[in-house]
Amino acid sequence: MGKVLEKKRLNEFLSKVSKGGDLIAPVKRDTLRFEIVKDFNDICLEGRPLFPVKKFFSPAKEDLFNLNLTNKNKPFDEEKIKLKPRVIFGGRLCDFNGLLKLDKLFLSEEYQDDYYKLARENTLLLGINCDPAPSEYCFCESMDLEKYYDLFFHDMGDKYYIEAGSEKGKTLIIDLEDYDFTIPSIKCEKKLYTKDISKYYDDSAWDKENDKCLSCGKCTAHCTTCLCFDMIDELEADVKHGKRFKEWDSCQFLNFTEVAGGAIFRKDRINRFKHRIYHKLQYFREKFDMDMCTGCGRCIESCPRLIDFTEVINNFKD
Amino acid sequence: MLFNATPFRIVKKEKQTEDTYLFRLEKPKKEKIKLCYEPGEFFLVSVPGIGEAPFSVCACSKDFIEFNIRGLGDVTNHLIKLKPGDYLWLRGPYGTSYPMKELKGNSLVIIGGGTGVAPLRGVLKYVEERRADYDRVHAFFGFRDPNEILFKKDMKLWNRIFDLNLTVDKAPKSYKGRVGLVTKVVEESGLNNKNKIAMVCGPPIMIKFTIQTLEKMGFHHDQIFVSFERRMKCGVGMCGHCMISGKYVCKDGPVFRYNKVKGIRE
Ligand code: SF4
Ligand code: SF4
Ligand code: FES
Repeated sequence: MGKVLEKKRLNEFLSKVSKGGDLIAPVKRDTLRFEIVKDFNDICLEGRPLFPVKKFFSPAKEDLFNLNLTNKNKPFDEEKIKLKPRVIFGGRLCDFNGLLKLDKLFLSEEYQDDYYKLARENTLLLGINCDPAPSEYCFCESMDLEKYYDLFFHDMGDKYYIEAGSEKGKTLIIDLEDYDFTIPSIKCEKKLYTKDISKYYDDSAWDKENDKCLSCGKCTAHCTTCLCFDMIDELEADVKHGKRFKEWDSCQFLNFTEVAGGAIFRKDRINRFKHRIYHKLQYFREKFDMDMCTGCGRCIESCPRLIDFTEVINNFKD
Repeated sequence: MLFNATPFRIVKKEKQTEDTYLFRLEKPKKEKIKLCYEPGEFFLVSVPGIGEAPFSVCACSKDFIEFNIRGLGDVTNHLIKLKPGDYLWLRGPYGTSYPMKELKGNSLVIIGGGTGVAPLRGVLKYVEERRADYDRVHAFFGFRDPNEILFKKDMKLWNRIFDLNLTVDKAPKSYKGRVGLVTKVVEESGLNNKNKIAMVCGPPIMIKFTIQTLEKMGFHHDQIFVSFERRMKCGVGMCGHCMISGKYVCKDGPVFRYNKVKGIRE
């Protein structure tokens, strides 16, 4: 049993739950993207942003230390992380499931990423159901997504049906009117026929798609669950002050595995392609018992060559 | 924070080859950090303004730690210019180690190539201090040429207390030592796998052929440890750089029992 909210009261509701913090939602500019909302009328729920919400949990570039080489005893000065409480509204199930997967990496038992941890603790997740699937590339129906959110909205024409997925979520809607409804599950045109690809490493279906690839890294940049990064020191012109920062990187780049001395371990394009997909569907599962792919289709839609790994997999010969 | 580094003072620097030095660092008095548990682990060493590079522990006690550093990239070329009294910035130790306690009573077959000998030196130093805990120790070390031989001082001692087999790939005629590939020397040793544990570290191609040799000699895959060298950035299983076939070399490794990584693909 959930609640209902009339659409004309949405802005009022959002402004109440995001009071004192930032509201992040899809905003239509030249493209649709998640942004900190300045004007509630900018919020657009048509389609899903091509760029997922991960940047709010680990920004494309994150300063770690201020460097001061003149201070021999303390050349590193830790960058203080400041984050306002935030509410993400209009995230899709794939976006939030992406976070569940990233938690495994950034909030492991032994090591926690400070920024990610703070962002996770400080962000309320208000999702919207996909009905119909917002992109022809979506195939999340094949990926067993979890119902993971604080609140989940379903469009009912002039009102939203809202379901809570957490205690926090429940308190946010406690004053709304009760309503009895079952949210329909997401239906996708596109399917992934098998997720067990262990036997097909040498299948020739890989080659055709791989041959089109430019190694541009757009697929990983847009992926809900890719957050590989590099750590870089950069000095200013005075060669005394600078920053050590984290920056997104991509396993699709040739130099991703380059070591001092110049050896590169995944030199062949095809090995990098397979590494990406095997990580998503096999390696991650071996470690964490879940896929690292949410079926959001962003890697396909963002690819300049429309390379589609589901086609590869669906075309394996048995 | 996860990436905070601690300053360690260099107390000794010993030239090994033209571009390689052995550094001894002293544990900072106030810090409550543990230097290392067992050999095989690594640290990320940083040069402010240039970056970080991984080094496996090359020897370690409760007050000091040693690294073998070869000038190969920006960070290491800077590091080898440092002098005793200067500071190195460290975070770690990270990764898995050789389970030395578990291996007590075994005979050890230690096979290293080039700079891959450094982490194995950690093992031998460990055994030096606990000699009675282990049966025979056979060490096989290969270097490109006589000028590349590392740890010459240690080799003298090891030659006395262990079965040391040193070889170089090529050498001028005047060279008196053994010339030939290290895998060859291992093969000719005639050792069997009985009550033995092998530890292999070196360039990928050397590891590959050494494993084949050990297989021929009867070693089972769970009797072999390999240690991999990969690009490490974060050291904590987050950045993705070191991953091979789903294994994080920084966290699941760098030391692996070979049956766990057999058949891995780049
Ligand atoms: S976006 Fe497409 S072209 Fe670019 S690296 Fe990914 S698969 Fe290759
Ligand atoms: S691999 Fe592609 S479909 Fe899967 S989560 Fe990443 S971007 Fe989405
Ligand atoms: S070094 Fe970053 S994941 Fe291993």
